[in-house]
Amino acid sequence: MAAEAIPSSPMLHTVFTKTIRDQRRALMWWGLGFVGTVFMYSAFWPTIRSNAGQFNDYIAKLPEAVRNLIGGDYGTPRGYIQAEMFSLLTPVLLLVYAIGAGARAIAGEEEGGTLDLLLSAPIRRRRVMLDKFWAMVGAAFLLAFVTWAAIVVIGRPYGLTVSMLDLSAAVVNLFLLGAAFGSIALAVGGATGNRGMAIGVTSGLALITFIVKTLASSVPVMKPLRFLSPFYYYADHRPLATGFNAVDIAVLAGISVVALVAALVAFERRDLSA
Amino acid sequence: MADVIVAEGLTKSYGKQRGVIDLAFSVAPGEVFGYLGPNGAGKTTTIRTLLDFIRPTSGRVTVFGLDSRTGSVDIHRRTGYLPGELALYEKMTGAEYLAYFASLRDGVDWAYVGELAERLDLRLGMRIRSLSHGNRQKVGLVQAFMHRPELLVLDEPTSGLDPLVQREFHRLVAQVRGEGRTVFLSSHVMTEVERLCDRVGIIREGRLVTVEDVGDLKARAMRTLDIHFARPVPADAFANLPGVQDVEVQGELVHLTVAGHLDAVVKAAARYEVVDITSHEPNLEEIFLTFYGGDEDDGG
Repeated sequence: MAAEAIPSSPMLHTVFTKTIRDQRRALMWWGLGFVGTVFMYSAFWPTIRSNAGQFNDYIAKLPEAVRNLIGGDYGTPRGYIQAEMFSLLTPVLLLVYAIGAGARAIAGEEEGGTLDLLLSAPIRRRRVMLDKFWAMVGAAFLLAFVTWAAIVVIGRPYGLTVSMLDLSAAVVNLFLLGAAFGSIALAVGGATGNRGMAIGVTSGLALITFIVKTLASSVPVMKPLRFLSPFYYYADHRPLATGFNAVDIAVLAGISVVALVAALVAFERRDLSA
Repeated sequence: MADVIVAEGLTKSYGKQRGVIDLAFSVAPGEVFGYLGPNGAGKTTTIRTLLDFIRPTSGRVTVFGLDSRTGSVDIHRRTGYLPGELALYEKMTGAEYLAYFASLRDGVDWAYVGELAERLDLRLGMRIRSLSHGNRQKVGLVQAFMHRPELLVLDEPTSGLDPLVQREFHRLVAQVRGEGRTVFLSSHVMTEVERLCDRVGIIREGRLVTVEDVGDLKARAMRTLDIHFARPVPADAFANLPGVQDVEVQGELVHLTVAGHLDAVVKAAARYEVVDITSHEPNLEEIFLTFYGGDEDDGG
Protein backbone atom coordinates (compact mmCIF):
# COMPACT_ATOMS: atom_id res chain seq x y z
CA MET A 1 0.00 0.00 0.00
CA ALA A 2 1.23 3.45 -0.88
CA ALA A 3 0.46 4.64 2.62
CA GLU A 4 1.38 8.24 3.18
CA ALA A 5 3.06 9.10 6.43
CA ILE A 6 0.78 10.87 8.84
CA PRO A 7 1.62 14.56 8.63
CA SER A 8 2.58 15.03 12.26
CA SER A 9 3.02 18.80 12.24
CA PRO A 10 1.80 20.11 15.57
CA MET A 11 0.71 23.17 13.61
CA LEU A 12 -2.20 21.14 12.19
CA HIS A 13 -3.74 20.39 15.58
CA THR A 14 -6.08 23.28 16.24
CA VAL A 15 -7.74 26.14 14.39
CA PHE A 16 -5.38 28.48 16.25
CA THR A 17 -2.16 26.75 15.18
CA LYS A 18 -3.44 26.14 11.66
CA THR A 19 -4.30 29.84 11.25
CA ILE A 20 -0.79 30.83 12.41
CA ARG A 21 0.64 28.18 10.08
CA ASP A 22 -1.26 29.69 7.13
CA GLN A 23 0.35 33.01 8.00
CA ARG A 24 3.90 31.80 8.48
CA ARG A 25 5.24 33.08 5.19
CA ALA A 26 3.28 36.32 5.27
CA LEU A 27 4.44 36.97 8.83
CA MET A 28 8.04 36.47 7.82
CA TRP A 29 7.72 39.12 5.12
CA TRP A 30 5.85 41.50 7.39
CA GLY A 31 8.51 41.00 10.06
CA LEU A 32 11.21 41.80 7.53
CA GLY A 33 9.25 44.90 6.57
CA PHE A 34 9.24 46.16 10.14
CA VAL A 35 12.92 45.35 10.57
CA GLY A 36 13.74 47.09 7.31
CA THR A 37 11.81 50.18 8.36
CA VAL A 38 13.68 50.35 11.66
CA PHE A 39 16.96 49.79 9.89
CA MET A 40 16.34 52.56 7.39
CA TYR A 41 15.45 55.16 10.03
CA SER A 42 18.30 54.04 12.29
CA ALA A 43 20.76 54.54 9.46
CA PHE A 44 19.51 58.11 8.94
CA TRP A 45 19.84 58.98 12.58
CA PRO A 46 23.52 60.05 12.69
CA THR A 47 22.91 62.52 9.85
CA ILE A 48 19.71 63.82 11.36
CA ARG A 49 21.32 64.30 14.75
CA SER A 50 24.08 66.48 13.38
CA ASN A 51 21.48 68.65 11.65
CA ALA A 52 18.95 68.54 14.46
CA GLY A 53 18.84 72.32 14.77
CA GLN A 54 17.67 72.76 11.19
CA PHE A 55 15.02 70.07 11.54
CA ASN A 56 13.65 71.55 14.71
CA ASP A 57 13.49 75.00 13.10
CA TYR A 58 11.66 73.48 10.17
CA ILE A 59 9.20 71.67 12.43
CA ALA A 60 8.59 74.80 14.45
CA LYS A 61 7.30 76.47 11.25
CA LEU A 62 4.79 73.74 10.53
CA PRO A 63 1.12 74.18 11.40
CA GLU A 64 0.28 73.04 14.89
CA ALA A 65 -1.79 70.05 13.71
CA VAL A 66 1.07 68.65 11.69
CA ARG A 67 3.50 69.33 14.53
CA ASN A 68 1.31 67.41 16.91
CA LEU A 69 1.09 64.61 14.42
CA ILE A 70 4.85 64.25 14.29
CA GLY A 71 5.02 64.90 17.99
CA GLY A 72 8.73 64.71 18.35
CA ASP A 73 11.94 66.49 18.88
CA TYR A 74 14.55 65.59 16.31
CA GLY A 75 17.41 66.35 18.65
CA THR A 76 17.00 63.32 20.90
CA PRO A 77 16.82 59.60 20.10
CA ARG A 78 13.47 59.46 21.87
CA GLY A 79 12.03 62.32 19.88
CA TYR A 80 13.36 60.91 16.64
CA ILE A 81 11.99 57.41 17.27
CA GLN A 82 8.64 58.88 18.27
CA ALA A 83 8.45 61.09 15.21
CA GLU A 84 9.76 58.72 12.57
CA MET A 85 8.68 55.30 13.77
CA PHE A 86 5.73 55.53 16.13
CA SER A 87 3.77 58.53 14.91
CA LEU A 88 2.64 57.09 11.61
CA LEU A 89 4.59 54.36 9.92
CA THR A 90 4.56 51.41 12.32
CA PRO A 91 0.95 51.94 13.46
CA VAL A 92 -0.23 52.13 9.86
CA LEU A 93 1.73 49.00 8.93
CA LEU A 94 0.46 47.06 11.91
CA LEU A 95 -3.10 48.23 11.34
CA VAL A 96 -2.99 47.09 7.74
CA TYR A 97 -1.82 43.67 8.88
CA ALA A 98 -4.23 43.30 11.80
CA ILE A 99 -7.29 44.56 9.91
CA GLY A 100 -6.53 42.16 7.08
CA ALA A 101 -6.05 39.24 9.46
CA GLY A 102 -9.19 40.08 11.44
CA ALA A 103 -11.30 40.44 8.30
CA ARG A 104 -9.95 37.22 6.84
CA ALA A 105 -10.46 35.19 10.03
CA ILE A 106 -14.13 34.28 9.62
CA ALA A 107 -15.30 36.22 6.57
CA GLY A 108 -12.36 34.99 4.48
CA GLU A 109 -13.17 31.36 5.19
CA GLU A 110 -16.84 32.00 4.63
CA GLU A 111 -16.31 33.69 1.27
CA GLY A 112 -13.84 30.99 0.32
CA GLY A 113 -16.46 28.35 1.09
CA THR A 114 -14.29 26.48 3.60
CA LEU A 115 -16.22 27.48 6.71
CA ASP A 116 -19.03 24.91 6.29
CA LEU A 117 -16.64 21.99 6.43
CA LEU A 118 -14.66 23.50 9.30
CA LEU A 119 -17.86 23.85 11.33
CA SER A 120 -19.00 20.35 10.39
CA ALA A 121 -16.26 19.15 12.72
CA PRO A 122 -17.27 18.80 16.38
CA ILE A 123 -16.17 22.30 17.25
CA ARG A 124 -18.25 25.19 18.51
CA ARG A 125 -18.51 28.41 16.57
CA ARG A 126 -17.20 30.30 19.58
CA ARG A 127 -14.15 28.03 19.71
CA VAL A 128 -13.38 28.83 16.06
CA MET A 129 -13.86 32.54 16.73
CA LEU A 130 -11.63 32.49 19.82
CA ASP A 131 -8.89 30.55 18.02
CA LYS A 132 -9.00 33.01 15.12
CA PHE A 133 -8.94 35.92 17.57
CA TRP A 134 -5.85 34.62 19.38
CA ALA A 135 -4.12 33.90 16.08
CA MET A 136 -4.66 37.51 14.96
CA VAL A 137 -3.63 38.88 18.37
CA GLY A 138 -0.61 36.58 18.51
CA ALA A 139 0.56 37.66 15.07
CA ALA A 140 0.12 41.35 15.94
CA PHE A 141 2.11 40.76 19.12
CA LEU A 142 4.83 39.02 17.18
CA LEU A 143 5.18 41.91 14.73
CA ALA A 144 5.20 44.46 17.56
CA PHE A 145 7.84 42.44 19.35
CA VAL A 146 9.95 42.24 16.19
CA THR A 147 9.77 46.04 16.00
CA TRP A 148 10.85 46.34 19.63
CA ALA A 149 13.75 43.95 19.13
CA ALA A 150 14.80 45.69 15.92
CA ILE A 151 14.95 49.09 17.60
CA VAL A 152 16.94 47.67 20.50
CA VAL A 153 19.37 45.71 18.35
CA ILE A 154 19.70 47.85 15.24
CA GLY A 155 19.34 51.25 16.90
CA ARG A 156 22.22 50.81 19.31
CA PRO A 157 25.16 50.85 16.83
CA TYR A 158 23.72 54.05 15.36
CA GLY A 159 23.53 55.63 18.77
CA LEU A 160 19.74 55.44 18.78
CA THR A 161 19.14 54.35 22.34
CA VAL A 162 16.11 54.84 24.57
CA SER A 163 14.99 53.39 27.87
CA MET A 164 13.98 49.74 27.32
CA LEU A 165 11.03 50.21 29.64
CA ASP A 166 9.71 53.26 27.81
CA LEU A 167 10.26 51.59 24.48
CA SER A 168 8.33 48.58 25.78
CA ALA A 169 5.48 50.87 26.80
CA ALA A 170 5.33 52.38 23.30
CA VAL A 171 5.44 48.94 21.66
CA VAL A 172 2.74 47.56 23.95
CA ASN A 173 0.50 50.47 22.95
CA LEU A 174 1.34 49.76 19.32
CA PHE A 175 0.42 46.12 19.73
CA LEU A 176 -2.82 46.91 21.57
CA LEU A 177 -3.80 49.47 18.92
CA GLY A 178 -3.30 46.84 16.20
CA ALA A 179 -5.21 44.22 18.19
CA ALA A 180 -8.08 46.67 18.78
CA PHE A 181 -8.63 47.40 15.10
CA GLY A 182 -7.98 43.78 14.19
CA SER A 183 -10.71 42.77 16.64
CA ILE A 184 -13.13 45.27 15.15
CA ALA A 185 -12.44 43.81 11.70
CA LEU A 186 -12.94 40.31 13.14
CA ALA A 187 -16.29 41.38 14.58
CA VAL A 188 -17.54 43.01 11.37
CA GLY A 189 -16.41 39.99 9.36
CA GLY A 190 -17.90 37.56 11.87
CA ALA A 191 -21.21 39.42 11.91
CA THR A 192 -21.56 39.85 8.15
CA GLY A 193 -19.39 37.21 6.48
CA ASN A 194 -18.24 39.99 4.18
CA ARG A 195 -14.48 40.43 4.12
CA GLY A 196 -14.44 43.54 1.97
CA MET A 197 -16.94 45.20 4.26
CA ALA A 198 -14.88 44.26 7.32
CA ILE A 199 -11.77 45.82 5.81
CA GLY A 200 -13.61 48.88 4.54
CA VAL A 201 -15.57 49.65 7.70
CA THR A 202 -12.60 49.11 10.00
CA SER A 203 -10.14 51.09 7.86
CA GLY A 204 -12.70 53.89 7.63
CA LEU A 205 -13.10 53.86 11.38
CA ALA A 206 -9.33 53.97 11.84
CA LEU A 207 -9.03 56.91 9.48
CA ILE A 208 -11.86 58.86 11.10
CA THR A 209 -10.64 58.31 14.65
CA PHE A 210 -7.13 59.25 13.58
CA ILE A 211 -8.39 62.50 12.08
CA VAL A 212 -10.49 63.21 15.18
CA LYS A 213 -7.46 62.74 17.41
CA THR A 214 -5.27 64.93 15.23
CA LEU A 215 -7.83 67.72 14.98
CA ALA A 216 -8.64 67.49 18.67
CA SER A 217 -5.08 68.36 19.53
CA SER A 218 -5.21 71.64 17.62
CA VAL A 219 -8.86 72.69 17.39
CA PRO A 220 -10.08 73.66 20.87
CA VAL A 221 -13.74 72.93 20.10
CA MET A 222 -12.90 69.35 19.26
CA LYS A 223 -10.67 68.76 22.21
CA PRO A 224 -13.20 66.77 24.27
CA LEU A 225 -13.64 64.38 21.34
CA ARG A 226 -10.09 63.07 21.65
CA PHE A 227 -11.22 60.58 24.27
CA LEU A 228 -13.22 58.84 21.55
CA SER A 229 -10.16 58.02 19.48
CA PRO A 230 -8.02 54.92 20.12
CA PHE A 231 -5.08 56.93 18.76
CA TYR A 232 -5.34 59.26 21.74
CA TYR A 233 -4.67 56.33 24.08
CA TYR A 234 -2.01 55.06 21.75
CA ALA A 235 0.15 58.17 21.65
CA ASP A 236 -1.00 61.17 23.63
CA HIS A 237 0.49 60.14 26.96
CA ARG A 238 3.88 59.89 25.25
CA PRO A 239 4.83 56.39 26.35
CA LEU A 240 8.37 56.83 25.04
CA ALA A 241 8.83 59.60 27.60
CA THR A 242 6.57 58.54 30.42
CA GLY A 243 6.45 54.74 30.23
CA PHE A 244 3.44 52.51 30.80
CA ASN A 245 0.06 54.12 31.33
CA ALA A 246 -2.67 51.97 32.87
CA VAL A 247 -5.49 53.95 31.26
CA ASP A 248 -4.03 53.54 27.76
CA ILE A 249 -3.60 49.81 28.24
CA ALA A 250 -7.04 49.35 29.78
CA VAL A 251 -8.87 51.31 27.07
CA LEU A 252 -7.02 49.79 24.12
CA ALA A 253 -7.36 46.24 25.48
CA GLY A 254 -10.98 47.01 26.37
CA ILE A 255 -11.75 47.80 22.73
CA SER A 256 -10.50 44.34 21.75
CA VAL A 257 -12.55 42.66 24.47
CA VAL A 258 -15.76 44.48 23.56
CA ALA A 259 -15.23 43.75 19.86
CA LEU A 260 -14.55 40.10 20.62
CA VAL A 261 -17.71 39.73 22.68
CA ALA A 262 -19.73 41.36 19.90
CA ALA A 263 -18.07 39.03 17.39
CA LEU A 264 -18.90 35.95 19.44
CA VAL A 265 -22.53 36.92 19.92
CA ALA A 266 -23.14 37.92 16.31
CA PHE A 267 -21.39 34.88 14.84
CA GLU A 268 -23.23 32.47 17.12
CA ARG A 269 -26.63 33.73 16.07
CA ARG A 270 -26.54 34.13 12.37
CA ASP A 271 -26.94 31.94 9.32
CA LEU A 272 -23.72 31.23 7.47
CA SER A 273 -23.78 32.08 3.80
CA ALA A 274 -23.40 29.15 1.48
CA MET B 1 -34.36 1.83 17.17
CA ALA B 2 -35.23 5.50 17.02
CA ASP B 3 -34.98 7.34 13.73
CA VAL B 4 -31.65 8.96 12.99
CA ILE B 5 -33.07 12.09 11.36
CA VAL B 6 -36.51 13.51 12.05
CA ALA B 7 -37.70 16.72 10.42
CA GLU B 8 -40.94 18.23 11.70
CA GLY B 9 -42.54 21.18 9.94
CA LEU B 10 -39.08 22.34 8.94
CA THR B 11 -39.28 25.72 7.23
CA LYS B 12 -36.55 28.08 6.18
CA SER B 13 -37.42 31.27 4.38
CA TYR B 14 -35.02 33.80 2.95
CA GLY B 15 -37.14 36.81 2.17
CA LYS B 16 -37.96 36.59 -1.50
CA GLN B 17 -35.78 33.61 -2.27
CA ARG B 18 -37.30 30.20 -1.87
CA GLY B 19 -36.08 28.16 1.06
CA VAL B 20 -37.84 25.02 2.22
CA ILE B 21 -41.42 24.81 3.39
CA ASP B 22 -42.91 22.59 6.07
CA LEU B 23 -40.69 19.55 5.49
CA ALA B 24 -41.56 16.39 7.41
CA PHE B 25 -39.62 13.17 6.98
CA SER B 26 -37.60 10.69 8.96
CA VAL B 27 -34.60 8.54 8.18
CA ALA B 28 -34.25 5.15 9.89
CA PRO B 29 -30.98 3.72 11.17
CA GLY B 30 -29.11 1.69 8.57
CA GLU B 31 -31.04 3.25 5.75
CA VAL B 32 -29.69 4.94 2.64
CA PHE B 33 -32.04 7.84 2.10
CA GLY B 34 -31.96 9.66 -1.21
CA TYR B 35 -32.93 13.30 -1.36
CA LEU B 36 -33.83 13.94 -4.92
CA GLY B 37 -34.66 17.19 -6.60
CA PRO B 38 -33.58 19.58 -9.32
CA ASN B 39 -30.93 22.18 -8.59
CA GLY B 40 -32.33 24.97 -6.46
CA ALA B 41 -35.14 22.86 -5.02
CA GLY B 42 -33.91 23.21 -1.43
CA LYS B 43 -31.70 20.15 -0.96
CA THR B 44 -28.67 22.07 0.23
CA THR B 45 -30.82 24.29 2.43
CA THR B 46 -32.20 21.21 4.16
CA ILE B 47 -28.74 19.75 4.67
CA ARG B 48 -27.25 22.99 5.97
CA THR B 49 -30.12 23.27 8.47
CA LEU B 50 -29.50 19.70 9.59
CA LEU B 51 -25.89 20.65 10.38
CA ASP B 52 -26.76 23.96 12.05
CA PHE B 53 -25.03 26.21 9.51
CA ILE B 54 -28.39 27.89 9.07
CA ARG B 55 -31.30 27.96 11.50
CA PRO B 56 -34.91 27.01 10.81
CA THR B 57 -37.46 29.80 10.50
CA SER B 58 -39.94 27.40 12.10
CA GLY B 59 -40.18 23.71 12.84
CA ARG B 60 -37.22 21.63 13.85
CA VAL B 61 -34.98 18.79 12.87
CA THR B 62 -33.39 16.28 15.21
CA VAL B 63 -30.42 14.03 14.51
CA PHE B 64 -29.75 11.08 16.83
CA GLY B 65 -32.60 12.51 18.88
CA LEU B 66 -30.64 15.74 19.43
CA ASP B 67 -31.93 19.11 18.39
CA SER B 68 -29.96 20.43 15.41
CA ARG B 69 -29.27 23.69 17.23
CA THR B 70 -28.50 22.69 20.80
CA GLY B 71 -26.92 19.35 19.99
CA SER B 72 -24.84 20.41 17.00
CA VAL B 73 -21.41 19.51 18.40
CA ASP B 74 -22.50 16.00 19.37
CA ILE B 75 -24.26 15.59 16.05
CA HIS B 76 -21.15 16.68 14.17
CA ARG B 77 -18.98 14.25 16.14
CA ARG B 78 -21.07 11.34 14.84
CA THR B 79 -21.63 12.66 11.33
CA GLY B 80 -19.52 12.82 8.18
CA TYR B 81 -20.34 15.63 5.76
CA LEU B 82 -19.56 16.30 2.14
CA PRO B 83 -20.72 19.73 0.96
CA GLY B 84 -22.23 20.25 -2.46
CA GLU B 85 -19.89 23.14 -3.23
CA LEU B 86 -16.67 21.70 -1.94
CA ALA B 87 -13.95 24.21 -1.05
CA LEU B 88 -10.70 23.05 0.52
CA TYR B 89 -7.57 24.82 1.77
CA GLU B 90 -5.67 25.25 -1.46
CA LYS B 91 -2.20 25.53 0.00
CA MET B 92 -2.34 22.27 1.92
CA THR B 93 -1.65 18.81 0.62
CA GLY B 94 -4.46 16.27 0.83
CA ALA B 95 -2.66 14.57 3.71
CA GLU B 96 -2.26 17.84 5.63
CA TYR B 97 -5.88 18.70 5.08
CA LEU B 98 -7.04 15.33 6.36
CA ALA B 99 -4.61 15.46 9.30
CA TYR B 100 -6.08 18.84 10.29
CA PHE B 101 -9.64 17.52 10.22
CA ALA B 102 -8.55 14.33 11.97
CA SER B 103 -7.14 16.51 14.78
CA LEU B 104 -10.36 18.49 15.01
CA ARG B 105 -12.09 15.12 15.45
CA ASP B 106 -9.60 14.07 18.14
CA GLY B 107 -7.84 11.65 15.86
CA VAL B 108 -8.87 8.98 13.36
CA ASP B 109 -7.47 5.63 12.28
CA TRP B 110 -4.84 6.78 9.78
CA ALA B 111 -4.55 3.32 8.25
CA TYR B 112 -8.20 3.63 7.27
CA VAL B 113 -7.50 7.02 5.68
CA GLY B 114 -4.79 5.35 3.59
CA GLU B 115 -7.20 2.58 2.64
CA LEU B 116 -9.90 5.04 1.57
CA ALA B 117 -7.40 7.05 -0.45
CA GLU B 118 -6.22 3.92 -2.16
CA ARG B 119 -9.72 2.74 -2.96
CA LEU B 120 -10.57 6.09 -4.50
CA ASP B 121 -7.18 6.28 -6.22
CA LEU B 122 -6.25 9.54 -4.52
CA ARG B 123 -2.65 10.69 -4.04
CA LEU B 124 -2.52 12.37 -0.66
CA GLY B 125 0.84 14.06 -1.07
CA MET B 126 -0.35 16.44 -3.80
CA ARG B 127 -1.16 20.06 -3.08
CA ILE B 128 -4.90 20.65 -3.24
CA ARG B 129 -4.29 23.63 -5.53
CA SER B 130 -2.94 21.25 -8.16
CA LEU B 131 -5.80 18.72 -7.95
CA SER B 132 -8.56 18.33 -10.51
CA HIS B 133 -12.19 18.78 -9.51
CA GLY B 134 -12.65 15.01 -9.27
CA ASN B 135 -9.59 14.59 -7.05
CA ARG B 136 -10.71 17.36 -4.75
CA GLN B 137 -14.04 15.59 -4.47
CA LYS B 138 -12.13 12.49 -3.38
CA VAL B 139 -10.38 14.44 -0.62
CA GLY B 140 -13.82 15.59 0.50
CA LEU B 141 -15.13 12.03 0.46
CA VAL B 142 -12.20 10.65 2.49
CA GLN B 143 -12.74 13.48 4.94
CA ALA B 144 -16.42 12.50 5.29
CA PHE B 145 -15.79 8.76 5.72
CA MET B 146 -12.50 8.68 7.65
CA HIS B 147 -13.88 8.72 11.19
CA ARG B 148 -16.39 5.96 10.41
CA PRO B 149 -19.36 8.15 11.31
CA GLU B 150 -22.77 6.74 12.24
CA LEU B 151 -24.38 9.13 9.77
CA LEU B 152 -23.12 10.36 6.42
CA VAL B 153 -24.63 13.50 4.97
CA LEU B 154 -23.52 13.80 1.37
CA ASP B 155 -24.59 16.67 -0.86
CA GLU B 156 -24.31 15.63 -4.51
CA PRO B 157 -21.46 13.23 -3.71
CA THR B 158 -20.69 11.94 -7.18
CA SER B 159 -20.50 15.23 -9.03
CA GLY B 160 -17.22 15.36 -10.91
CA LEU B 161 -16.21 11.76 -10.20
CA ASP B 162 -15.31 9.58 -13.14
CA PRO B 163 -17.39 6.41 -13.59
CA LEU B 164 -14.79 4.05 -12.08
CA VAL B 165 -14.54 6.13 -8.94
CA GLN B 166 -18.31 6.45 -8.82
CA ARG B 167 -18.52 2.68 -8.73
CA GLU B 168 -16.05 2.57 -5.83
CA PHE B 169 -18.10 5.21 -4.08
CA HIS B 170 -21.21 3.06 -4.54
CA ARG B 171 -19.34 0.17 -2.91
CA LEU B 172 -18.38 2.40 -0.01
CA VAL B 173 -21.99 3.38 0.52
CA ALA B 174 -23.09 -0.26 0.35
CA GLN B 175 -20.44 -1.15 2.92
CA VAL B 176 -21.53 1.62 5.26
CA ARG B 177 -25.10 0.41 4.94
CA GLY B 178 -23.98 -3.17 5.60
CA GLU B 179 -22.46 -2.00 8.87
CA GLY B 180 -25.81 -0.59 9.94
CA ARG B 181 -24.75 3.01 9.47
CA THR B 182 -27.00 5.60 7.90
CA VAL B 183 -26.58 7.65 4.75
CA PHE B 184 -28.48 10.77 3.70
CA LEU B 185 -27.49 11.75 0.20
CA SER B 186 -28.82 14.36 -2.15
CA SER B 187 -28.82 14.09 -5.89
CA HIS B 188 -30.46 15.44 -8.97
CA VAL B 189 -29.89 12.21 -10.85
CA MET B 190 -32.68 9.65 -10.69
CA THR B 191 -30.57 6.64 -11.68
CA GLU B 192 -27.99 7.27 -8.98
CA VAL B 193 -30.66 7.42 -6.31
CA GLU B 194 -32.32 4.30 -7.71
CA ARG B 195 -29.06 2.41 -7.53
CA LEU B 196 -27.97 3.48 -4.05
CA CYS B 197 -30.97 4.21 -1.94
CA ASP B 198 -33.63 2.36 0.00
CA ARG B 199 -36.03 5.26 0.14
CA VAL B 200 -36.28 8.52 -1.69
CA GLY B 201 -37.64 11.88 -0.68
CA ILE B 202 -38.43 14.04 -3.66
CA ILE B 203 -38.22 17.77 -3.18
CA ARG B 204 -39.43 20.37 -5.59
CA GLU B 205 -39.59 24.12 -5.14
CA GLY B 206 -38.94 23.83 -1.44
CA ARG B 207 -41.65 21.28 -0.75
CA LEU B 208 -41.31 17.57 -0.14
CA VAL B 209 -43.46 16.05 -2.86
CA THR B 210 -43.30 12.47 -1.73
CA VAL B 211 -41.25 9.94 0.18
CA GLU B 212 -41.32 6.44 -1.25
CA ASP B 213 -39.48 3.17 -1.45
CA VAL B 214 -37.12 2.99 -4.36
CA GLY B 215 -38.82 -0.24 -5.46
CA ASP B 216 -42.15 1.57 -5.88
CA LEU B 217 -40.48 4.38 -7.70
CA LYS B 218 -38.75 2.00 -10.07
CA ALA B 219 -42.00 0.23 -10.82
CA ARG B 220 -43.28 3.52 -12.15
CA ALA B 221 -40.03 4.72 -13.61
CA MET B 222 -40.44 6.55 -16.88
CA ARG B 223 -38.34 5.96 -19.91
CA THR B 224 -38.43 7.40 -23.36
CA LEU B 225 -37.68 4.89 -26.09
CA ASP B 226 -36.63 5.45 -29.68
CA ILE B 227 -37.13 2.32 -31.73
CA HIS B 228 -35.72 2.09 -35.19
CA PHE B 229 -37.32 -0.56 -37.39
CA ALA B 230 -36.10 -1.99 -40.67
CA ARG B 231 -39.35 -0.98 -42.39
CA PRO B 232 -42.14 1.48 -41.60
CA VAL B 233 -44.59 0.17 -39.00
CA PRO B 234 -48.34 0.84 -38.77
CA ALA B 235 -49.28 4.03 -36.96
CA ASP B 236 -51.32 2.13 -34.39
CA ALA B 237 -48.73 -0.61 -33.67
CA PHE B 238 -48.08 0.75 -30.16
CA ALA B 239 -51.47 2.23 -29.36
CA ASN B 240 -53.31 1.21 -26.21
CA LEU B 241 -50.41 -0.64 -24.62
CA PRO B 242 -50.38 -0.52 -20.79
CA GLY B 243 -48.17 2.30 -19.41
CA VAL B 244 -47.35 3.67 -22.86
CA GLN B 245 -47.98 7.27 -23.80
CA ASP B 246 -46.90 9.98 -26.22
CA VAL B 247 -46.48 7.60 -29.10
CA GLU B 248 -45.14 9.14 -32.30
CA VAL B 249 -44.71 7.01 -35.36
CA GLN B 250 -42.77 8.43 -38.29
CA GLY B 251 -42.23 5.70 -40.86
CA GLU B 252 -39.68 3.28 -39.46
CA LEU B 253 -38.99 5.46 -36.38
CA VAL B 254 -41.11 5.19 -33.24
CA HIS B 255 -40.80 7.46 -30.24
CA LEU B 256 -42.73 6.68 -27.06
CA THR B 257 -42.72 7.01 -23.28
CA VAL B 258 -43.21 4.04 -20.97
CA ALA B 259 -43.96 3.96 -17.26
CA GLY B 260 -42.94 0.81 -15.39
CA HIS B 261 -42.13 -2.46 -17.12
CA LEU B 262 -41.08 -2.53 -20.74
CA ASP B 263 -42.55 -5.96 -21.40
CA ALA B 264 -45.57 -4.92 -23.46
CA VAL B 265 -43.56 -2.56 -25.62
CA VAL B 266 -40.82 -5.09 -26.29
CA LYS B 267 -43.34 -7.72 -27.26
CA ALA B 268 -45.18 -5.32 -29.53
CA ALA B 269 -41.92 -4.29 -31.16
CA ALA B 270 -40.86 -7.89 -31.63
CA ARG B 271 -43.56 -8.35 -34.23
CA TYR B 272 -41.41 -6.26 -36.62
CA GLU B 273 -37.76 -6.26 -37.51
CA VAL B 274 -35.92 -4.07 -34.95
CA VAL B 275 -32.70 -2.30 -35.95
CA ASP B 276 -32.01 -0.37 -32.76
CA ILE B 277 -33.57 0.63 -29.44
CA THR B 278 -32.37 3.69 -27.51
CA SER B 279 -33.64 4.41 -24.00
CA HIS B 280 -33.51 7.86 -22.43
CA GLU B 281 -33.86 8.87 -18.84
CA PRO B 282 -36.49 11.56 -18.59
CA ASN B 283 -35.36 14.60 -16.62
CA LEU B 284 -36.69 15.17 -13.15
CA GLU B 285 -39.09 17.87 -14.22
CA GLU B 286 -40.79 15.40 -16.54
CA ILE B 287 -41.06 12.88 -13.73
CA PHE B 288 -42.61 15.45 -11.45
CA LEU B 289 -45.08 16.54 -14.07
CA THR B 290 -46.12 13.00 -14.84
CA PHE B 291 -46.22 11.59 -11.33
CA TYR B 292 -47.04 14.43 -9.09
CA GLY B 293 -48.71 16.99 -11.27
CA GLY B 294 -47.35 20.35 -12.31
CA ASP B 295 -47.31 23.40 -10.17
CA GLU B 296 -49.55 26.27 -11.23
CA ASP B 297 -47.08 28.95 -10.34
CA ASP B 298 -44.60 29.99 -12.91
CA GLY B 299 -41.49 29.84 -10.74
CA GLY B 300 -39.44 27.10 -12.29
